Amino acid sequence: MFGNVPFGVSLLAVWGVLTLIGVVVTQNQPPGAYFTSYPAPIARAILRMNFDDIYHSVWYLTSVGLVLLSMITATFTKVIPRRLPPYRPVKIDAMPLHATIAVPGNEATVRARVEEFFVKRGFRIRRRDFEGTEWSFADRWNWARIGVLVNHAAILIIAAGAILYWMRGFSGETAIVTGQATQIPRTNTIVKLDRFSYTIQPTMTKSGMVYQPIDYVSHVTVTGPNGVPRPMVVRVNHPIDIGGTLLYQASYGFGMQFAVTHDGKTVSSLARRLLVEGDSLQIPGTSRSVAYQQFVPTVDPRTHMPSADPRVNDPAVILTVADSGTPLGQALVPLRTWLDLGAGWRIEPARYVMYSGFQYTYDPGVPLVAAGAVLLLAGLIISFYFLPARFHVRVDAEEGGACRVGLAATTVKGYDIFETQFRDLVSGLRTEAGKGAS
Amino acid sequence: MDVVLMKFALIAYAIGAVVLFIYFFSREDWLRNFGATLAVAGCAAQFAQLAARYQETHIWPLLNLYGSLSLFSAMSVAIFIFFAFRYRLWFAGGLLLAIAAIFLAYGITWDEGVMPPVPSLQSYWAKIHVPLVVSSYGAFLVAFVFSIIYLVKDYGERRFAKRRIVTSTASGGAAEATLPGVPLSKFDPAPETFAAESAASLRDTPALAAAAEGGDVVAGWFATLPSLAQLDVLVYRAVAIGLPLLTLGIVTGAAWAHEAWGRYWQWDPKETAALTSWIVYAAYMHLHTRNAWRGLRCSWLNVLGFFVILFTYLGVNIWISGLHSYKA
Ligand code: HEM
Repeated sequence: MFGNVPFGVSLLAVWGVLTLIGVVVTQNQPPGAYFTSYPAPIARAILRMNFDDIYHSVWYLTSVGLVLLSMITATFTKVIPRRLPPYRPVKIDAMPLHATIAVPGNEATVRARVEEFFVKRGFRIRRRDFEGTEWSFADRWNWARIGVLVNHAAILIIAAGAILYWMRGFSGETAIVTGQATQIPRTNTIVKLDRFSYTIQPTMTKSGMVYQPIDYVSHVTVTGPNGVPRPMVVRVNHPIDIGGTLLYQASYGFGMQFAVTHDGKTVSSLARRLLVEGDSLQIPGTSRSVAYQQFVPTVDPRTHMPSADPRVNDPAVILTVADSGTPLGQALVPLRTWLDLGAGWRIEPARYVMYSGFQYTYDPGVPLVAAGAVLLLAGLIISFYFLPARFHVRVDAEEGGACRVGLAATTVKGYDIFETQFRDLVSGLRTEAGKGAS
Repeated sequence: MDVVLMKFALIAYAIGAVVLFIYFFSREDWLRNFGATLAVAGCAAQFAQLAARYQETHIWPLLNLYGSLSLFSAMSVAIFIFFAFRYRLWFAGGLLLAIAAIFLAYGITWDEGVMPPVPSLQSYWAKIHVPLVVSSYGAFLVAFVFSIIYLVKDYGERRFAKRRIVTSTASGGAAEATLPGVPLSKFDPAPETFAAESAASLRDTPALAAAAEGGDVVAGWFATLPSLAQLDVLVYRAVAIGLPLLTLGIVTGAAWAHEAWGRYWQWDPKETAALTSWIVYAAYMHLHTRNAWRGLRCSWLNVLGFFVILFTYLGVNIWISGLHSYKA
């Protein structure tokens, strides 16, 4: 039962439905987001059922596990034990695919000609004698039954690759500010960002000006366990390899140094800190805090609002001021101008420094997954395009120096699928065997 | 230049669809030839358009919905043309060309002009991955069209079977038709009759065969379609093109993601939607190994599969944002 096709397909259906739920329900959002998007009972159900991270949920892993288990069972109980049916005589006329043709010549030459016809087309001939009647069996692509096995094995190999990553691999993100260095976690490698640059091309389209990013480049110095620094370049689609861990260009942003003054005097302890978007500063001795919300590369000179141009021309920052956690207001503050925070405090965005966001990944399962993918494709091609088929051929001498050739065909996938080829082969045989006789 | 080619293709498909629809009902040979010519000309114009656009801009033309939908309609027509020539299926061209024309027209509304690709799209994988995936969608569209024709013929058989039961009970069973050896398929290219073919057609749709023999015009029309068994095999052959292409498309997408984002699989909505489509067709492939599921149920599964493909292709981009969103 566990290995039969309808049961396996039901499991595939469950797997498919769960996968689809993960497409429709946005994944890995904070709980509040689900209550904003859905009515409360549905949002609660999503969270309770773990549909907010469905691909790591018990449901999902169980469904995939059951699919694999069912597939393995089927492979051992159904696929591997199955052999081609034994060679045996058939009632030609009773087979759904059959034809009878007349070929001039005696039995031996006609049989030889028929067999030669099939051999030329990749069939392998076996002769068997059944109670004085000789039968020829022409088999083609019998090996292709291995296609199922190849496919099922491929899926297991891909699964093994994924499991290897869970067990031994890791990945994460790190941001490095220009001029600074970071050790990439779990590696003995230090990466220093020398410079980050981007190229953005303004392009006029039908719906207006679009600022299309063309290139993001991080120039880095990589120092591995041998202590020798090496300059390298990381760009999108061109990761670098640091001792088996790959480092990818993922994002970029603007770090900001703020000058904070109290009654006109600089507070140097606060000025030394570099904030990235989302960070905040607590103003000492008050209940106020300032959050560095967003960097605005270009302020539109006419509207004094952020423009869509992501290139740094006339930069500003958006700051949010809060008192005991309650937001008081938001302001767009151009660089080297200040914002009054009250009680003698002022804050000035003084200097921006770019940082580059990297993704690092170590995945020892990749070669397995790649091999599985190749096998999967090979198995599909074999299963779809190499149909094992057998012709049963019987040659009976008739009066007048001719023979009646009875042909019937079977395949491992029924008869309908072979109809056209059967017809073409029989037509070809009729022409060729006839020709050979004249 | 490329706008002219695109419009030419659209008009060719639209007229071709009408012509082949009429051919579906009338079976006039000249209509088939005319419709086939339009399909081939439209398809050639589309590929010429894509080439011209690439030549002019040196930007791979498939990276936005405009180029991708254009390739989708071109590939579905191309795959259909292959089937139509090989198995004499031009009668199905009306439905296919109409759908291809709709997608092409919709694609044109996404023409934003020429834009250089963003960094993550600047990869040779883009040139491989996108055509593969889009071609697989084209093959699944062809499978969908054949499934629809299967379902229509199956519906016809049921209707006539019901009618036959009604007539036979009304006249005490005397009107029960015997199964005659009518020539069932005008599209049957065989110069000789083989046991298998006529047997399949008679086994498939005995009520239609009997009514056609009795002179019923509608049944006679139905009977000229390929047998249900043949239609089922055609669906299977289209999926045999689509599923390996989709698999290869997903695999090359994974290879690209490995290079661009650091993980070959990210559980991004586009990826997971594609996985769902893949699961549906993998299920189809398994069910098709069972006699009881071939034909009717497998055809319905293909209809479902194509809707999942449409969701993967367009729905995800329009409703769900993610790494693959064209608007991102
Ligand atoms: C749910 C678990 C699965 C079960 C129980 C299962 C079972 C089977 C069985 C019994 C067959 C032989 C059918 C026959 O010829 O009568 C088969 C064929 C096949 N299976 Fe699976 N399978 C499963 C999952 C998969 C998956 C995930 C793939 C991935 C592609 C796959 C690929 C294939 C292929 C390509 C064939 C050959 C089909 C053909 O020759 O038409 N199977 N499977």
